[in-house]
Amino acid sequence: MRTEAIDPPGIDWHRVSPKFVTVRLVQWALGNLAAVVILSLPLVFVLLEWWRWPPLWLAITVPAVTLVVALWRLVLIPRQVRAIGYAERDDDLLVRSGIFFQRTMAVPYGRMQYVDVAVGPVERSLGLCTVKLHTASPGTNAHIPGLPEAEGARLREQLAARGEARLAGL
Amino acid sequence: MPSASTPAADGAGPGITTPGDGWLRVHPASPFVRGWVALAAIGFFFGRDIFERTLQGRPMFEDGFAGRVPWLVAGGGAVLLVAVLSFVLTWYFTKYQVSGGYVRVNTGFLFRQQRQARLDRVQAIDIVQPLLARIFGLAELKFEVADAGESAVRLAYLKIDDAQQLRATILARAAGIDEDAENLGAPAPEAPEYPVLSVPPSRLIGSLLLSEQSLFVVVGGVASVVLSAVTDNRAFYFYLIPAALGLAASYWNLFNKGYNFTAAISPDGIRLRYGLLDTQAQTLPPGRIQALKISQPPLWRPFGWYRIQVNVAGYGLVENAGEASSRTTLLPVGKLDDAMNMLALVLPDPGTSRPAEVFGAGLTGLDSDGGFVTTPRRARLLAPLGWRRNGFAATDTALLIRSGRWWRNLVLVPHQRTQSMALHQGPLARRFRVADLVLHTTAGPVVPRLTQAGLDEARALFDEQSARARLARKRQTTEQWLRQVTPPGAGPESPAAATGPERNESHQEQEGPHHG
Repeated sequence: MRTEAIDPPGIDWHRVSPKFVTVRLVQWALGNLAAVVILSLPLVFVLLEWWRWPPLWLAITVPAVTLVVALWRLVLIPRQVRAIGYAERDDDLLVRSGIFFQRTMAVPYGRMQYVDVAVGPVERSLGLCTVKLHTASPGTNAHIPGLPEAEGARLREQLAARGEARLAGL
Repeated sequence: MPSASTPAADGAGPGITTPGDGWLRVHPASPFVRGWVALAAIGFFFGRDIFERTLQGRPMFEDGFAGRVPWLVAGGGAVLLVAVLSFVLTWYFTKYQVSGGYVRVNTGFLFRQQRQARLDRVQAIDIVQPLLARIFGLAELKFEVADAGESAVRLAYLKIDDAQQLRATILARAAGIDEDAENLGAPAPEAPEYPVLSVPPSRLIGSLLLSEQSLFVVVGGVASVVLSAVTDNRAFYFYLIPAALGLAASYWNLFNKGYNFTAAISPDGIRLRYGLLDTQAQTLPPGRIQALKISQPPLWRPFGWYRIQVNVAGYGLVENAGEASSRTTLLPVGKLDDAMNMLALVLPDPGTSRPAEVFGAGLTGLDSDGGFVTTPRRARLLAPLGWRRNGFAATDTALLIRSGRWWRNLVLVPHQRTQSMALHQGPLARRFRVADLVLHTTAGPVVPRLTQAGLDEARALFDEQSARARLARKRQTTEQWLRQVTPPGAGPESPAAATGPERNESHQEQEGPHHG
């Protein structure tokens, strides 16, 4: 995995499972296709001459723009999934994500209050899971999606053990 | 520690019954003080009709009333009885206990609830006195415990003396003062306190008049007058009436909450007192403040006023926004000296040999004054005004983040309170080789974010800050801030020494890790 400018140097990033692309595709389809279909309804109504408003150009533009944005997001999904990485260091866990808007987060083991493993229906069918870390701060929005179940369980145990050893107060 | 050994039981006043096992009850009048609205509504419902008739000169009861009297009396009596009975039951089943390092509170008779809170996790204790409770000499004790999501434990109402006594006991236990055998049963002494500052009412009024809110009021007022003149529509004035009422209420609320603000320091932490009609006394034990922000709105600058807000675990989760904002305010308005004094209380060890210079530069400085590292010149287009001010400086104990040319802000996060952090970089920032560093802290008004730091500096800070936070966490092993030190009040030690980090460290060595 390529090391981006804001990543600490010399980190060996673990990538999430490539199967996570499928999960993202399903999410994409549910969100974006539904939006495009709903926004296309006025166009259909206008073409059928049930509606006089909006004008034809507006009725075409809105769903067309939505469709372009949706396709753009679709194209980005594989790259976004490849950009998700995590690395266990001695004292903290690094989580990175994003290609345009990049984020690299460090969560110290001593600050973790609890670790969740969540599995959605699509993830379950692919044997994937999401590990979520919680600290006392609501800003710590650290989740690692698309982990194979075995790796998720290992990571959870590992994090819990390390957190136990280093737990400090708030 | 046996549960029977509760000195608080003996320290409790005669107004409190002791059901045994060290369980105590709140004051019998408390459900009435809390539920006075319900009682008033019942009284109003039955009294209004009679009152109106008397006013109108008609006979007090209408004709044929006599036949219905028994029903009415029975109905009213039943409602009243149910209300009073539920009050009595609520009171009877509300019990609390302080023992064995825990505070336990039982409530409810249909749906029982037991809450227990670890004393060494107490983040802050407030004594709240709404007006009615104040008239009866009662007070509510409220403490925040950082254990789970819903963190406030409330005891309403206790006699004010008992509430203060209980607060002293809880703080003494939380501080780690052991109950020794001969002292068993004696109430913990209230820690001595030293006044630090107070806010005169004139300055409070001035600060309210010159606050951000007033700016919006003036702009909104001018806009609506212009609009109504242009459109020749008088209806605007009618919209102004509720707006004015709301504003008056909001100003009144701020005045009521901020009136007579005083701060004091004691070995138990920072004591804040404020309030005109409803008074509140907050105690923030040492080291409980997660992050701090000093800000100066543009209109306050000629007067040299500053405001200090803090994040404390539990304070951010309050449902009532007004209450939250007053509780997270460490200093509603103060001069530079006041701000510096408060800063010294929060951070007894500034971690630098020239604190006045560093913090002064954080408040008003530009460029590299006081060792601050600012946004590089190449990124000045991203923040044409603020690039000379947006910056950070790290002392041995805290990270300082300053921002804002007009709207001056200085955010301070103690190293040992850093939860986690993240570097952010968008496409535009990448083009200018800058990045943002976000420190995550508990919910509250302070959101520490270093904007547009140079890429290399931000990356270096990311690494250094991890290391510093790790070191600070290792050094701090206990949450009990006075563990095995002479009880508060035993010696006339200066407040700074009592809460100083050297003192904490010296007795932390005797204290093993005790986190489960």
